[in-house]
Amino acid sequence: MSSKNVIEVKGVNRIFPVPGGEFQALTDINVEIPEGNLAILKGRSGSGKTTLMNIIGTLDKPTSGIVKIDGKEIGDMSDIARENLRRRDMGFVFQAVSLIPTMNAFQNVEFSMRLAGIKAGRERDKRVEECLKLVGLGNRMHHMPAEMSGGEQQRVAIARAIAHRPKIILADEPTAELDSAMAAQVTALFKEMSRREQITVLMTTHDVGLMDAGDMVIELESGMQVHREEE
Amino acid sequence: MLRIMLQKLVSKKWMNLCLLLGSTLLIATVVSFPMYQTAAYDRMLRDEFANYLESEGRWPTMLFMTTISKKDKNGATINRMEELMGTIYDELGVTKKETISYYLLSKMETHSAMNREEIKDLPVKLGTLADLPEHARIISGEMYSEEGVDEDGNIEVVVSQTSLVKMGLLVGETIVFNDLRDVEGNEIRMTVKGVFGVEDYQDFYWQVNPDEMSDICLMNTDLFKKMFTGENAGKYTITCRYIPMFEYEDITADQVATIAATTDYLKEESAFRNTIATPAYRSILENYLEKQTRIRATLVILQVPVLIMLAAFLFMISGQMYELERNEISVIKSRGSSGAQIFRLYLYQSIFLTVLGGAAGLPLGALFSRILGSARNFLEFDSNRMLELHLTSETLVYAAAAMSATLLIMTLPAIKHSRVTIVKLKQQKALKKKSWWEKLFLDIILLGVSLYGYYSFHKTTGNLTESVLTGEALDPLLYISSSLFIVGMGLLFLRLQPLLVKLIYLAGKRFWKPASYASFMENIKNGRKQQFIMLFVIMTISLGMYHATVARTILQNATDNAEYLDGVDFVVQEVWSEVMDENGASTGVYFEPDYTKFASIEGVEGYTRVLYDTKAYIATGQKSRQDITLMGIHTKDFGEITWVPQELNGKHYYEYLNEMASVANGVLVSENFRSQLGYNLGDTITFTNPRGLVITGKIVDFFSYWPGYIPAVTEIRPDGTAATVDKYLLVTHYDNIRQKWGVTPYEVWIGLKEDADSQTVYDWIQDNNIRVRKFTDREEDLRKTVEDPLLQGTNGVLTMGFIVTILLCAVGYLIYWIMSIRSREMIFGVLRACGMHKGELFHMLMNEQIFSGAFSVLAGIGIGKLASVMFVPMIQQAYAAANQVLPMKLIINASDMFRLYGVIAAAMLICLAVLILLLFKLNVAKALKLGEE
Repeated sequence: MSSKNVIEVKGVNRIFPVPGGEFQALTDINVEIPEGNLAILKGRSGSGKTTLMNIIGTLDKPTSGIVKIDGKEIGDMSDIARENLRRRDMGFVFQAVSLIPTMNAFQNVEFSMRLAGIKAGRERDKRVEECLKLVGLGNRMHHMPAEMSGGEQQRVAIARAIAHRPKIILADEPTAELDSAMAAQVTALFKEMSRREQITVLMTTHDVGLMDAGDMVIELESGMQVHREEE
Repeated sequence: MLRIMLQKLVSKKWMNLCLLLGSTLLIATVVSFPMYQTAAYDRMLRDEFANYLESEGRWPTMLFMTTISKKDKNGATINRMEELMGTIYDELGVTKKETISYYLLSKMETHSAMNREEIKDLPVKLGTLADLPEHARIISGEMYSEEGVDEDGNIEVVVSQTSLVKMGLLVGETIVFNDLRDVEGNEIRMTVKGVFGVEDYQDFYWQVNPDEMSDICLMNTDLFKKMFTGENAGKYTITCRYIPMFEYEDITADQVATIAATTDYLKEESAFRNTIATPAYRSILENYLEKQTRIRATLVILQVPVLIMLAAFLFMISGQMYELERNEISVIKSRGSSGAQIFRLYLYQSIFLTVLGGAAGLPLGALFSRILGSARNFLEFDSNRMLELHLTSETLVYAAAAMSATLLIMTLPAIKHSRVTIVKLKQQKALKKKSWWEKLFLDIILLGVSLYGYYSFHKTTGNLTESVLTGEALDPLLYISSSLFIVGMGLLFLRLQPLLVKLIYLAGKRFWKPASYASFMENIKNGRKQQFIMLFVIMTISLGMYHATVARTILQNATDNAEYLDGVDFVVQEVWSEVMDENGASTGVYFEPDYTKFASIEGVEGYTRVLYDTKAYIATGQKSRQDITLMGIHTKDFGEITWVPQELNGKHYYEYLNEMASVANGVLVSENFRSQLGYNLGDTITFTNPRGLVITGKIVDFFSYWPGYIPAVTEIRPDGTAATVDKYLLVTHYDNIRQKWGVTPYEVWIGLKEDADSQTVYDWIQDNNIRVRKFTDREEDLRKTVEDPLLQGTNGVLTMGFIVTILLCAVGYLIYWIMSIRSREMIFGVLRACGMHKGELFHMLMNEQIFSGAFSVLAGIGIGKLASVMFVPMIQQAYAAANQVLPMKLIINASDMFRLYGVIAAAMLICLAVLILLLFKLNVAKALKLGEE
């Protein structure tokens, strides 16, 4: 594996103001994820998984600490720069249905490429088809989200997340609404992606059965990292 | 449950605020219709009475009852009448102003106690006028005392000046009745205590004019009754007159039917039927009822489009509610709440909002109608003309109906969805392909019907005038076809709009940035959801334009017409005295009043003699006509104070005057001399006055319009059909006529300076004791035209419709957009997470607004203009019909349009501001979480 760390989190704290005080959502988190790894972020709900994901995904800022994406410190970036980072170098898969309902599967995938600034043309069309085939939806490319099942929609979302060849895919509970067979399939898909496209995947889950698929597991408990001996 | 409801209200405060605003506005609008109408009818009724009072100088609401008590036992007749006087006001349901009672004994001969020769066998009527001392002025002597008799036992009487002079009485003289005896058989003597006159001529007490009393002596009323009418009095023949007067200002429109029916009953069926003369107010009421029926029909038809808009508004909000709530309801349902529970929750919430809306809507509706009642012109208000409002049962019925509708619409989505779980919902979410109206080709059908209406009226415009004149009911299609046209065109546009968007999309397919691309997708795939708001915007703008144009056109044409018909600011014709021959026959020779005095009117710009003779006739060869109107003018002076707009004749007005001035015997004649009688330019024309005196003139030009000239009138033939009759006008030099026909009574046309007050003319006439035979005041005629209740009502309803539709549209647009954005917050979160900039998101929403909003605005403007050009002339004709002389002018007022566009632009700007605010506040992480529930 490559030695380069695509995601580096150093001493990150996140404190939310709440009525009558503060709530420490994350305490001194240190994470390094090498390129091409499938990292699994686990923990109970409320353990701070989504908070950490949002910080890594530049949707939220840490109260203190440093986050580097592909070696670049994101704390110093402007909003526009962070947005550009998101649209070019990141792909998101959300727990809930996140497809744009007025676009069909093809257009949804294509849209992330448009956002990433990839020019229209045969190249792009081919890439969309390739991604959809990768997630097993080669025959449903022109269906609208409303015409697909939850699992199918989630696979379109994954195709969308990888289409523009991001460096990182952030998947927050992508399997929460899927049955276990489908969940395993989706996780396997991530695994294959990280191998084939050298994409670093950070995925949260509380499904213990999926842990084995990960190259590394980061566990959070009440906002703190749980360190276990490597098995 | 209540706690959950309150929580729900607070958590969705924006949407609930919109709903509250919508329901308040809806209820306010609905209740303002009956409120405004009742108040407007009340005012119309008051105006009718006041106009009568002004023009006739008589109190409008009183009855004249006369009866003769013929030596009745114990004054039975009089008792009955007096009893009626006590109850008649309650029977009519009116407020008493005053009852005038007047009793007269029949004429009896008298002689002077001093045995003066002049007063021998002098016929006198002894009588009494109740409450005389309070209303009379004593000119000489004094009023009769409270006892009514002097120390000698003589009855004290007063007489009018006319009576005093005609009878030759002296103040202080005692008169003795030759034969009249009191109940005990004693001689009756009376002393003239004084002479009375009218204290105040404005006092309506004076229904009996003292100047017309020539042989009447009036005594104390109580004494009169004691002596002549009471139980112990003797038997006399007494003429009794009662005049019950009541206040007209308190009479409301809903009392009219009762008053009319009670009056008719009293006059035709009651025991008093023979005593009552038909009161003046009966015809005023009749007139009013007739007008009211006509106005009510017109106003109802004018309100229909506004009510349609209201229904559409409700429908739209309900649709938005449905969209927004169905997720939530399904979620609650899936978590195990029963359908009934959900329904109750929504019901409570809706009741809460409706009651709140009703509480705010009623006073707001009152405010609406109050302001609108003051509309003098379209969108012009006069704070002095505020309506007096009262809550009627009709208003409450409307309010209840509006509230029920609001409640129903707010609860409907809950009823529908309380049975749907999240699973079923997801299955339903597949997008519908086509709207029902598209499949039914409703747009084409509506357009077809309206165009049919358009062509059938267009073909029969002449008949339209006739049917208005003959009082035939107008085909409602006339009014409705314009609304159908607007809706039809709006729908047609909705059918075409997606194609248009698609076309634009395809044209630049390769170049669209992600934001534009997303908005194209939203519009192409989800555009159907916007159809309603689009139709709403289109209808608001086009109906607004159309209504504004109708109101402006009707009013402007009516005032232009009134202005044209009077010809000049003032026309005064004095009473001339004629020289009579020894047999008292007319000689045609008159004393001409001083003409130069008109120069002393303050603010006068010019004045000129105008000879106006409708009895001239012409004879040239076999062509002769008896009904020519002859006008003798002084070209220069006439031209200085009169005007005919150039577009009417196609030639400058002064050119005509110059042509005539340059030919000594030049005449100008109306166009129909050429078209109907075959005269040509330069022809010699001979016209003769009724005395047979002849003038020969040379035709220098033909005109279509001339100050005050009506080219043709539509007359109703005895058989009820209408016919157009040409009117011929011949204009020539006044000096020629004067020279040939002598000095005959002429009119003086007076022009006032721009800033002069027309009151000065009235003052001048009064100060100079001018006796007037004919008088017209252009300003006054204009005022009357503008204040015509039908025009006022039309303006009121159109203004109200305009404001209401604009408000609804603005609010509807906002509600639609806020709801639409809130319902898509999660998607916006996804887009932002995927790295879309705020600016891009904003751009995307802007595009959506342009596709729906801006396109609709443009379509609305186009459709509104088209509808105005096509349908307004017909509506105007239906209004003006008989009186319209000038060609119809379509008035599209720029400031109205700016107001309309301004409000729409403001709504869109607010919308933008809200968009920016929402986007700014959009918390990506939070928005994403929305989807997890």
